[in-house]
Amino acid sequence: MTALRNLWRIPTARFALVVLAGIAFLTVFGGALAPHDPLKQYTDHVLEGPSATHWLGTDYVGRDVLSRLMSGTRLSVVGAAEAVIIGAALGVPSGLASAWLGPRLEWLTLRISDTLVILPFTVFAIAVAGTLGNGLQQAMFAIGVLISPIFFRVTRSVAMGMRRQQYVEAAELMGATEWWTLRTHIWSKVLPNVAVTFAQATGAALLVVASLSFLGLGVSPPAPTWGGMLASDLDYLAQQPWAPVFPGLLMMAAVGSLNLLADAVREATGDARRRRRSTPRTASPAQSRHEAQRQTKETARA
Amino acid sequence: MSLTVTPEAGTTTPSRPSPAAVPPTVEAVRTRRVVPLVRTAAGGLAVAVTVLLLASVITFALGALSDSNPAAAVLGETATADDIARMNHEFGLDRPLHVQYASWLGHAVQGDLGQSWFTTIPVADSIKQALPVDLSIAALALLLAIVIGGSAGIGAALSNGGPLDRLVTLVCSVLATLPPFVIGMALIVVFSVKLQLLPSGGYVPIDQDPAQWLRFAILPSLALSLDVAASIARQLRTSMVTALGENYAVGAEMRGYGRSRVLFGHVLRNAAAPTLAVIGLAIPLIVGGAVITERLFGLPGVAQLALQSAERGDVPVVLGTLLVTAVVVVVASSVVNALQKVLDPAARRQGVRR
Repeated sequence: MTALRNLWRIPTARFALVVLAGIAFLTVFGGALAPHDPLKQYTDHVLEGPSATHWLGTDYVGRDVLSRLMSGTRLSVVGAAEAVIIGAALGVPSGLASAWLGPRLEWLTLRISDTLVILPFTVFAIAVAGTLGNGLQQAMFAIGVLISPIFFRVTRSVAMGMRRQQYVEAAELMGATEWWTLRTHIWSKVLPNVAVTFAQATGAALLVVASLSFLGLGVSPPAPTWGGMLASDLDYLAQQPWAPVFPGLLMMAAVGSLNLLADAVREATGDARRRRRSTPRTASPAQSRHEAQRQTKETARA
Repeated sequence: MSLTVTPEAGTTTPSRPSPAAVPPTVEAVRTRRVVPLVRTAAGGLAVAVTVLLLASVITFALGALSDSNPAAAVLGETATADDIARMNHEFGLDRPLHVQYASWLGHAVQGDLGQSWFTTIPVADSIKQALPVDLSIAALALLLAIVIGGSAGIGAALSNGGPLDRLVTLVCSVLATLPPFVIGMALIVVFSVKLQLLPSGGYVPIDQDPAQWLRFAILPSLALSLDVAASIARQLRTSMVTALGENYAVGAEMRGYGRSRVLFGHVLRNAAAPTLAVIGLAIPLIVGGAVITERLFGLPGVAQLALQSAERGDVPVVLGTLLVTAVVVVVASSVVNALQKVLDPAARRQGVRR
């Protein structure tokens, strides 16, 4: 609770939370509140600019852009959230476990995470679509599996660091079970890091989901998504060069807020180890150099 | 996606026995230099081979999990159980899975990735035709990313806290919130729709006409590079600001070395290692981004091949593209890792100190 209160005190976090609340609202109610049917084609109003009836204009078959944007939020956001949850469910437990595995198994888990890191999202998602079928579930599974190493590495590095702490060693020497140490000492330290990673990974997943629907993977047209709208704008850039601005801005707001929130969570939970980009901008070069030096020393110590 | 480099506890090379007992002859010094390098190279090779093997297992598993078979794919609904059995036998799909994997991998190592279920064209041939498009675009993008990101990062670090620093930070954060294809669309609008300077799509192979190739390739590469350039700039700025304040940099400056000598001879060399690590992490992003860039600019590359095959359910082609992509990424990452080891003075010394 105190962590949440600390978070609310940071202005950027407040801004990010408000934007994210707006996007969550659109996710739940966007489809119902949309002024027009997102699939209805007003064939005599094709590729029109903003007007009183169509606030953000119409697309190449005369569908209302605002309505598509509002109802497309659900598929885009739910898809990204699903992928990140799969990634966390795979990555966090295996990361915690790998701190207790023997060196051989540990080496293997590290190599598996290396392998998943080198597979590019798009190519892997295409392969999954080609073999397991092209659907939202398959695409999100593919992204989730490829996101899991991020969680794995973060969890693992925190858990490894914690295991070397004296009070954890003491607890183990006094006969505490691994499960007990994990619950009492380690989990509370891992959680803030997982929260930061969760916010960052959701932002990344939003972009990947958009990329995939841009390629026509996961969500098949005419169902509206942000990426799919951008894909259909692509062929009409000569007529409507400003069309990509609206989905682009919405995406920027969502991903940018998630990144701000991640930074703020890091700050609120007081995890100095990962605070790296917080060089004060107004400080003189010498001061900020000093600051950076201090931070590196902290990093080295941690 | 933002890239950060965290030191990984488990990936260090095994420590070798202390060389303190050996008398410091010239040969001993030389072995002390060479042995860690060989060890590092061997360790890197072991990791690369394991990663490739695991990637091949994942790739093969996708094919094995797939319920599509050549007969159903080619004949559609009309395929009878007889047809399916006959075609499965023809492609060797009625054998046990481990036998299939062994023969698939054995052939793949020799450069044979099987045949397309539809056209019976060897998969390797189709990929060989499409791959140069991606590789040339990705290489140019990497070069642009290093040039743009490198100069932005150095500039920002030198004006630490100044207007250039703030501008670079702002542009980097904005770029990190946009998917690369939106940047590509903005480039199309500016350079081909408004200014009519460059084509918005199409491709000429580099060996036919390099000048024309550059004209077609520059926009896709630029679109692909900006995301990575932002990561490079951010990392380079952070590590350079740190390195500029270190004792050796201050000391070198006080001993009277010129500013540029200190910057390029000492600071940049030390700041390069984490930046190279970021570049290594960015390689899958560039290769994966090339797929989207291809769609964006209508390039005849691997992605078009993979997408078309995925739509038809042509499993051998899809698996082939995934495997080849993995190989490309692993090779490129190994090169970056090796560069990192060669360039970084601290990493070179580490083997001796221990």
